[in-house]
Amino acid sequence: MSGLRALLGLGLLVAGSRLQRITTQTSACRSGPTWWGPQRLNSGVRWNSEVMASTAVKYLSQEEAQAVDQELFNEYQFSVDQLMELAGLSCATAIAKAYPPTSMSRSPPTVLVICGPGNNGGDGLVCARHLKLFGYQPTIYYPKRPNKPLFTALVTQCQKMDIPFLGEMPSEPTVIDELYELVVDAIFGFSFKGDVREPFHSILSVLKGLTVPIASIDIPSDR
Amino acid sequence: MRLKGGGLAPQLTSAMSSAAGPDPSEAPEERRFLSTAEAAALERELLEDYRFGRQQLVELCGHASAVAVTKAFPLPALSRKQRTVLVVCGPEQNGAVGLVCARHLRVFEYEPTIFYPTRSLDLLHRDLTTQCEKMDIPFLSYLPTEVQLINEAYGLVVDAVLGPGVEPREVGGPCTRALATLKLLSIPLVSLDIPSGWDAETGSDSEDGLRPDVLVSLAAPKRCAGRFSGRHHFVAGRFVPDDVLRKFALRLPGYTGTDCVAAL
Repeated sequence: MSGLRALLGLGLLVAGSRLQRITTQTSACRSGPTWWGPQRLNSGVRWNSEVMASTAVKYLSQEEAQAVDQELFNEYQFSVDQLMELAGLSCATAIAKAYPPTSMSRSPPTVLVICGPGNNGGDGLVCARHLKLFGYQPTIYYPKRPNKPLFTALVTQCQKMDIPFLGEMPSEPTVIDELYELVVDAIFGFSFKGDVREPFHSILSVLKGLTVPIASIDIPSDR
Repeated sequence: MRLKGGGLAPQLTSAMSSAAGPDPSEAPEERRFLSTAEAAALERELLEDYRFGRQQLVELCGHASAVAVTKAFPLPALSRKQRTVLVVCGPEQNGAVGLVCARHLRVFEYEPTIFYPTRSLDLLHRDLTTQCEKMDIPFLSYLPTEVQLINEAYGLVVDAVLGPGVEPREVGGPCTRALATLKLLSIPLVSLDIPSGWDAETGSDSEDGLRPDVLVSLAAPKRCAGRFSGRHHFVAGRFVPDDVLRKFALRLPGYTGTDCVAAL
């Protein structure tokens, strides 16, 4: 039950197999596991920070994360739309806690949200919309869009809220560093397997050269 | 931005006597209420132009309603008994919002129980019911007519029976009887969107009807909110894009930080 509450509250699960690599990455996302403990999230979910600090947080393997997902869909009859909305909202809330608008240089702070071809990308679209409502100025790069109503609807919601979609990804990290104060990586999620295809391979290379912070949704997308 | 109080009442009375439409005595940029027709139009805009899904909006409203409850009745200040919440759900959209609210209250460590006597057959309601059942939220099979039993068993009640535009006679006997019982409640009552049974435009029956302590207006307040005289009025409308608020000439207090509700 607490695992389910974690999913509903945060929308962030960290795959166990990735843990070692997170700590050694130089471009490691700042919203990784280290800040779960001391910070109390207040998007309505109450966390007992003492419990969080003293008991080990269980990190899920890819199989376990998929099993949680299946249980939510099949047993609990959650819809993808529902969970995606909660996940995206939770991510935007988490990002706003980690990088409050008042702590950023620009007003409104500029954020680049890179959305991948699957559900992680959908989470990114929801996240971008809520970041806009929270007072950020998001821009989205969404090169591979599934032709499904769920995703086309989410794109429409963002477009109607005047969130721009880039036609191409800046190829130089310095360009991104200059334009954006934060990058949200919503490229690949826990169900990703196999080789990274273009354009995402190039995108990930560019992200590795960034100096601005990267917030990864669910797992850091690098390979 | 107080909605209650003598200063506003005269203007509202003259507005209420006219048909649904903008109140001429309220300057356009200061409108704080929607008529029933406008509320429906705002929802249509979100569904059709913005391509929001109904499930998405219901989830956002239900989550925000639960957050409003946590603000009005913070958990640390409550005893075990006071954390028990009875959520009374009607068969329409207001009831669906109530089901989502109950689930989030559970996540927020309150102890909800649901009374949902007239069940909608639509898929959204059925799935939301399943989610609550799977999270071990009990569903009452009947509601005592003796209000003292409710006062003793629960710390507060959430009224998610009737939304704007739904006639009381549409929701069936058990809901109607439940509302009659809730009128006599002495524990706090939280109404979602409008106090069930109030006319959404005029607020008539506000004397004889439910008297909630807390009103959570969904998206934007409805006209009858002008007659609300309880302790807290929240608007749960963070998700409404600025352009839509402008289109309906609504000016509401800003939300702080990542809050999804604002106190009016």
